[in-house]
Amino acid sequence: MNQPLSHTDAQTVTLALIAVLLPFAAFVINFLVLGKSKATGWVSTLAILASAVLGITVFFKVWDKQVMHVQYLWFTIGTTKLYAGVLLNNLSVLLLALVSVIALPVHIYSTAYMNDDEGYGHYFRYLSFFCFSMLALVVVDNLMLFYAFWELVGFSSYLLIGFWFTRDSAVIANKKAFIMNRIGDIGLLTAIIILFTQYHTFDIAALFGSDGLIVRSVITHGEWVGPVGHIPAVWQYVAFGGIFLAVAAKSAQFPLHTWLPDAMEGPTSVSALIHAATMVAAGVFLLGRAYALFTETELTILAFVGCFTAFMAATIALTQNDLKRILAYSTISQLGFMVMAMGVGAYASSLFHLATHAFFKCLLFLVAGIVIHQVKHIKDDNNLDIDPQNILHLGGLRKKLPLTFIAAIIGGLALIGLPLTSGYLSKDGILIQSFEWSEGRNIFFKLVPTFGLLNTWLTAFYVSRLIIKVFFGEFRLQKMNPHIKIHIGDGSWQYKLPLILLAVCCLFPLFSLNPLLYEDAWLFHGFFQINFLVRSNMYHTIIPALVNVLSIGVMYGAWMLYVKRNTWSVPQTGFLFRMSCNEWYIDKFYNRVIVKFVLILSDTLYWFDIKVVDGLVNLIQSIGIAFSKMAAWFDHYIIDGLLNLLAAVVQGIGDFARRFQRGKVQYYLYSMLLALIVVFILKILIWT
Amino acid sequence: MITLTHFMVVSAGLFCIGLFIIVSKKNAIQVLLGIELMLNAAILNMVAFSRYDRVNNGGQMFALFAIVLAAATTAVALAIILNVYRRYKTINPDEINQLKDQ
Amino acid sequence: MNILTLLIFAPILFGFIILLLPSSWRASFKYITLIATLLQLGISIWIYLNFKTGPTNAGINFVDEFQFVQKLPWIHLDLGSAGSMQIDYFVGIDGISVTLLVMTCLVMVIAAVASWEIKGNLKGFFALFLLLDMAVIGVFCALDFFLFYTFYELMLLPLYFLIGMWGGARREYAAIKFFLYTLFGSVFMLLVMVGLYLSVKDPVTGNHTFNMIYMMDQANYIQGSVFSVLSNATLLGMPARTVGFVVLFIAFAIKVPVVPLHTWLPDAHVEAPTPVSIILAGVLLKIGGYGIIRICMSLFPDVAHSGAFWLGLLGVISILYGAFNALAQRDLKRMIAYSSVSHMGFVLLGLASQTAEGVSGAVMQMVSHGFLSTMLFFLVGVVYNRVHNRDIYNFRGLGTLMPKYTVYIMIAFFASLGLPGFSAFIAEAFSLAGAFKSHSVNGLLPYWMAVCGSVGILLSAAYLLWTLQRMFFGKIALKGGDIWKNALTDLNTRETLTLLPLALMALALGLMPSLVFAKINDSVLALVEFLQIK
Repeated sequence: MNQPLSHTDAQTVTLALIAVLLPFAAFVINFLVLGKSKATGWVSTLAILASAVLGITVFFKVWDKQVMHVQYLWFTIGTTKLYAGVLLNNLSVLLLALVSVIALPVHIYSTAYMNDDEGYGHYFRYLSFFCFSMLALVVVDNLMLFYAFWELVGFSSYLLIGFWFTRDSAVIANKKAFIMNRIGDIGLLTAIIILFTQYHTFDIAALFGSDGLIVRSVITHGEWVGPVGHIPAVWQYVAFGGIFLAVAAKSAQFPLHTWLPDAMEGPTSVSALIHAATMVAAGVFLLGRAYALFTETELTILAFVGCFTAFMAATIALTQNDLKRILAYSTISQLGFMVMAMGVGAYASSLFHLATHAFFKCLLFLVAGIVIHQVKHIKDDNNLDIDPQNILHLGGLRKKLPLTFIAAIIGGLALIGLPLTSGYLSKDGILIQSFEWSEGRNIFFKLVPTFGLLNTWLTAFYVSRLIIKVFFGEFRLQKMNPHIKIHIGDGSWQYKLPLILLAVCCLFPLFSLNPLLYEDAWLFHGFFQINFLVRSNMYHTIIPALVNVLSIGVMYGAWMLYVKRNTWSVPQTGFLFRMSCNEWYIDKFYNRVIVKFVLILSDTLYWFDIKVVDGLVNLIQSIGIAFSKMAAWFDHYIIDGLLNLLAAVVQGIGDFARRFQRGKVQYYLYSMLLALIVVFILKILIWT
Repeated sequence: MITLTHFMVVSAGLFCIGLFIIVSKKNAIQVLLGIELMLNAAILNMVAFSRYDRVNNGGQMFALFAIVLAAATTAVALAIILNVYRRYKTINPDEINQLKDQ
Repeated sequence: MNILTLLIFAPILFGFIILLLPSSWRASFKYITLIATLLQLGISIWIYLNFKTGPTNAGINFVDEFQFVQKLPWIHLDLGSAGSMQIDYFVGIDGISVTLLVMTCLVMVIAAVASWEIKGNLKGFFALFLLLDMAVIGVFCALDFFLFYTFYELMLLPLYFLIGMWGGARREYAAIKFFLYTLFGSVFMLLVMVGLYLSVKDPVTGNHTFNMIYMMDQANYIQGSVFSVLSNATLLGMPARTVGFVVLFIAFAIKVPVVPLHTWLPDAHVEAPTPVSIILAGVLLKIGGYGIIRICMSLFPDVAHSGAFWLGLLGVISILYGAFNALAQRDLKRMIAYSSVSHMGFVLLGLASQTAEGVSGAVMQMVSHGFLSTMLFFLVGVVYNRVHNRDIYNFRGLGTLMPKYTVYIMIAFFASLGLPGFSAFIAEAFSLAGAFKSHSVNGLLPYWMAVCGSVGILLSAAYLLWTLQRMFFGKIALKGGDIWKNALTDLNTRETLTLLPLALMALALGLMPSLVFAKINDSVLALVEFLQIK
């Protein structure tokens, strides 16, 4: 169904395939051959290194040049043929390169970070498997395969969250993550089935392509009419709902976001790769893939949900004390930002933010990993009973971990979005476009950009708080326990190299040569809408300025609050504080209402099954037994009784008659006499 | 005067008494006595009816004959009873039920 | 010698050998049984490889298109003016049966290996086992209704004794419940079978016939007979064909099992010894599904069409109801039994859709569930054999204690909750796709059914993951303390060798669904077409 590929194209596709399959090969080798050996780490790392090189090669061959699509028949079901194939367009090669490049430093980092863990071999097995699934997810060309890898990344995330499976909190968290993701999965499955019913194909290129089937369908008179068929329009909305659920689950959007903070139970390097940089971005990637499907209203819903999620998560991040939890909520917030960007039509900006966010959030997690690792050393050396992730114990680490500190500053600034960082370029694009989007609509729509702005300041605050509490001031742990010995440092090159790599990637040159104008970023030119790049109105100037000036103000405020401690202090008892601290009570609500409801329902149904359905069977059994007992009684007493009565009568007569036959003369005589008398009496009676 | 009827009534009474003794008594000798009584009742009747045969006195003759016979049978019967008693230590006719061949 | 006949009767030969051997040789019985089942597996694989595909080999309603056919006169009675009675030994397979045959033979091998745990009265056990083996293979091959019925009933007898004699504490209750339930279904089936016999004439000989293929063709029905479409006869005030369909459906729905006729299943599973549980879940349930395809829907396509909504509804109810019930269980085996109810609901839903995707998905689900439930019950048997306890709450942290075992449990659990890469995913996805598509293709099922069905996938994740978390993860805590800890050794070689092929099969079918689809596709298309013509 495609025009034959030229030789070089075929080569490119093969390279992409190899890039995808290398981590899988590493997984297989680790699984079958290496077992628990330390070599597993290097096998996986080498595989991902090769993948990264191939990914970048493929990226340069495909980006902005042509779409490559190769597919082979997988199987036939009925008259439907399913193809398995590779679709390389700008979106997929961007992600291909991004994922493999980000995975590389994480692998290197992990070889040191997990070195002392007894599950070292398992860890790299799972990690390679994740990389394989994630890379495959971005290049597959078919919704069935997309779903398959969509779930496999969820599965590998399940394995890695529950990596320390003897910890109860970890296994509860991974169960929660998988089930939450399952909700999204059935949404995605439903959407895929609806699309299949409507268009009779699973092919992503044919469905969502620029002149694909979806573009050529319209909703009229309550029917969703496509080129090959039509179904009621409501199913278009359901399909959107399904995709939305999938996105909400994978990218941790409200209302399915609660698994992500809990997922921090996994190793920090995993959180960096999976739960910050790559897997959670898959939701946004799905939005990008399925963008053609959404109607205007549906996009608006996306914008509002994304905006709400971003705001909610940012407010929660303000008060958390767990280092990784703050970063997790920050991730949710940034993902909300990307979804909002998709909703307001900032397609390219959203993907741009996805790319930049992957780098700086990964960096921040790796920093957190180093901090936690070092604090754990202190804890183990001195037998302290503390939570190494609690930022309230930390402080002043900038002198002890200088490289980590610099990396944290770069990552933090990128997250806040100050100039010279990549975050500045991507974030401002989204804000500007959301303002442009709300232009000319009613006041209600202004909420989205307004909260977006507010959100950036909240981000500035919690990032400042985090960095200040960890790196500035004095080391509170030492203050509380003055005698403890502290031997910590940035660690070996396996820690340092990834930090340097990622930190460099967080700066502007990777994305745009002009550090101040996001419009110059090369990434935008790869995607179809480029009209917003014209600096047509004042937003393009005002907003970056406004955002940055106020952000710096907020950061200064945080500095004053936490380091100088000479300004106002936040009341820690207010309703808002409690709301934020308890994560808006959403998790509690789910546990108390939905989980409980399902459990009660299942108990009720089981009761119903035992008592009613099986009870009915048992009742039939009892009735049967009762009937048979009655029949037995009837048989015994009535039918058999009649026979016995007859027998008894006969026996009675016999007994009576026998008495005359006892062989006793006197009786014979007696009876003769009696007979005679009877005859005489009768004779007399007859005579008279 | 004493008519035939009176004789017959006496005879019937004797007969009945004899019969009653036979049927009811549990003692073989008493039963034998009953039999004698009945026999005597019959003899009495014969004697009474002999008035109608004054030429041959058949009734009287039979009566004598019967008395002799009765005496003989009684002797035999008493002998049997004696033997029975010896064997069974009882003369209750109800309990002597072993006459059949062993 | 016809290869199918050989396949059917090979086990019974070995059964005779076992019966003739003195009891002192009892140690050899399990090996004889294993050889019998392995031989069968070999034959079935040979059949699978030599099975011809293509539109001319579709089967379903054309006698000529069946393969490996053998037809011998069995019971022929000349009844004078009333014609002659004609019952044939008539076996043959098409695409629907061939995959199920291979699946059955593999499951039987596993069940034979699982029988190692049986300790008492080995001669009886293995003889009954092989008799059961013969009967189930016979059911999948029979094309004569009488023959089908004979095999179908023949299955009950060995199962009754296998559960009743080698089962758990409440085995008599379970065995009688199972026996009566199934008998209740099949007794009425007998009536319908006789009715069909009297309604149909063999176009070749002109006699009444039990040939199922002839029963599918309306031209073979005698005018005015009770089951003829044209005569519109009524039974008990309802159309005779509807009554016939419902009666047959109830018979097979009990086997599937479909809610609310499922309550024998948890009891039978819980009480049955492991090999019997494996056969029950792996093979017996599939006979229900197979019967619905081969008999209910094929003989009464018109009723299947008009009643599709109700079939689909029952399917959806089974999916959700089974899943919720599984969530409420604390006995591991009972939970898996309820999950079987849930998973078999997809079969019914797929079949009710009467689309190529749905029917293929349903057949795939039967094959896949055959492997997965076998694996699950075998795994439960492993723990139960070690400590004679299956309560989920009594275990914790088995992952540390039995790592290999946990790997297989995870494979089995994730495969049956529909993780892509394993067979159940393809099966469930296409059952649902078929069910959804049905409305726009033939208007049988409303759209919402597929959506409700997909919730079952979510729930299956919930109960399986809960069990994983509760039993296998966390710190070791066992009710039986150190005694259990010592008893719970990891999988031995025999167990690993049993589980590995199952896991590999589930994986192979998930990665290469064409292993099944390529063989069944023509038959499924022919069936769908046949159902549409009515």
